[in-house]
Amino acid sequence: MPLSWAIFASFLLAAAGYIIGRSRAFASAGPDVRKLHSRPTYHGYSVALTALFPPLAVLALAGLLRMAGVLSAEAGPVVGLLALGAGVVGLGLGVTRIGQQFQARNAVERMVLGLLMLCSLIAIVTTAGIVLSLVFETGRFFQVYDWRTFFFGTEWTPRFQGNSQLGIVPLLWGTLYISFIALLVAVPIGLFAAIYMSEYASGRVRSIVKPAIEILAGIPTIVYGLFALITVGPLLRDYFAQPLGLGNSGSSVLTAGLVMGIMLIPFVSSLSDDIINAVPQSLRDGALGLGSTPSETVRQVVLPAALPGIVGAVLLAASRAIGETMIVVLGAGAAAQMSLNPLEAMTTITVKIVSQLTGDSDFNSPETLVAFALGLTLFVITLALNVVALYIVRKYREQYE
Amino acid sequence: MYDTNRRVETAVTPDDIKIQARKVQVYYGDKHALKDVDVDILDKTVTAFIGPSGCGKSTFLRCINRMNDTIPIARVEGQILLDNEDVYDRRVDPVQLRAKVGMVFQKPNPFPKSIYDNVAYGPRIHGLARNRSELDGIVEKALRGAALWNEVKDRLQEPGTGLSGGQQQRLCIARAVATSPEVLLMDEPCSALDPIATAQVEDLIEELREQFSVVIVTHSMQQAARVSQKTAFFHLGNLVEYGDTDDIFTRPRDSRTEAYISGRIG
Repeated sequence: MPLSWAIFASFLLAAAGYIIGRSRAFASAGPDVRKLHSRPTYHGYSVALTALFPPLAVLALAGLLRMAGVLSAEAGPVVGLLALGAGVVGLGLGVTRIGQQFQARNAVERMVLGLLMLCSLIAIVTTAGIVLSLVFETGRFFQVYDWRTFFFGTEWTPRFQGNSQLGIVPLLWGTLYISFIALLVAVPIGLFAAIYMSEYASGRVRSIVKPAIEILAGIPTIVYGLFALITVGPLLRDYFAQPLGLGNSGSSVLTAGLVMGIMLIPFVSSLSDDIINAVPQSLRDGALGLGSTPSETVRQVVLPAALPGIVGAVLLAASRAIGETMIVVLGAGAAAQMSLNPLEAMTTITVKIVSQLTGDSDFNSPETLVAFALGLTLFVITLALNVVALYIVRKYREQYE
Repeated sequence: MYDTNRRVETAVTPDDIKIQARKVQVYYGDKHALKDVDVDILDKTVTAFIGPSGCGKSTFLRCINRMNDTIPIARVEGQILLDNEDVYDRRVDPVQLRAKVGMVFQKPNPFPKSIYDNVAYGPRIHGLARNRSELDGIVEKALRGAALWNEVKDRLQEPGTGLSGGQQQRLCIARAVATSPEVLLMDEPCSALDPIATAQVEDLIEELREQFSVVIVTHSMQQAARVSQKTAFFHLGNLVEYGDTDDIFTRPRDSRTEAYISGRIG
């Protein structure tokens, strides 16, 4: 019996439990339903949940044991039967609890609380699992490759015959350079758009402009990548790089940075707009009442009050930029090099993670394992940015609530 | 009925009309919020606007410095003359007008800046000081004028939001005074304050009257009786009665005024 059948059967059991519990509760109440502590429906829920949890717990446990290698695949039918048995026992226990005094309503409340806590726990445990697997693989990488060469090496030349140079510095440089250009585009445009929307635009204009800008956030990044590859890249090369003699590469840091900046505009503008709107109207009135013009009010009162929140928004946009892959692959190319010229092709950490893991490769060679070290480095950078951003945003919130 | 003789009245020349309003109408969208308001506000006098909530007294106050311009659906008709110049004339820049007609709001609203920068805000944007020491002088004078100097002189660089509620409101008054306005509008300036802070602000209003005309909107009739020389009673968008504070509170001519001050409507 496949395990999916066991899951299906335990849900059937739970449904039956609901009907049985409810009718048993009516029966125990006698003619006056008000003698029951809890309404019959709650008795039904209580039985259904006590019938549902044990088989699911058995199945989850079996799954964990299978992953740990204790259980073989042939144990499936046994597990299924065990789960069903647990369900029947749970159902029986639930039914015997029914009575006029049984506080089924409170019992259901506790079980629901347990369910909610379980769900949040799963989210946290999964994150921890991802980090742990990264750390584990990174540890293996550093056993076969010197960590000093990785962190301080300025050469990135992986060779699958061995003897590779795997220095992260050129990749880190590309990542930061492209992100910097992206923020240089996104922050002023996004911020000014936010100021227009929240301070100047009428309600009707705002209700059109804001969703229109947010459409940008819904475009898949691969589409931005195509835009970079076939439009922005050639344009920059033909009208900018070649006439100025700065290179003749279609893919460049500037291409990826510009397009990524456009992608980030809605992040900055939408978050900043919310933050600027949260600045109390009384501050604007105060400034206007002293004879400031609207732009003086924005510059000297509203923006300083909203600054911590805006910094938070920018940092969140920055962590998006650092983790972005598709736009870079198509816009900036895959050449790992360090240069100040923004019209040359460079590449980022994320792109190299992809290229190290695609294709036939031995999962024990440093050339493959380096991907995990790169991933962990990236994770640490974005985590740090997010923590700083959340800290700043939270500090700001405390000020006005 | 109310103690109107708590302070010795300073001499006023009754002929100095500072603001003259004629047939002022205000509409919020379709709602006719203020109807046919005629009023003469005197220079160097405290004028109180009283009336139940929603009667239009704050609306009228906000017409005087054109703060209603910031509400998109608000429309003002009629004439408001400040020193015989119509404030709604096309050539009048509301920004310049608001520098002459200062405003203090219901809730203290210090900017998220230092105490010094809060007070220096107006003088800076209007270029009232030529150098730092002149600005220091203006700030000190305004803070002294708002009876706040002794409490904050050692911490001028600390944020204004860190002060207590009463101190914040006096800071906002100092901020308005520093721009050296000709008229000071106060929209329920004490409604968020405790009785002690209220008394301090009321003392302050009495002193400010020596320099310029003060218009105060208040829900407290006792406060109107204590601080003002002239009182206007608004009801349902109409200016019902306007006259000397003593007369309004002791010999009201209109039955609605009498009903309001004796607590029967409102």
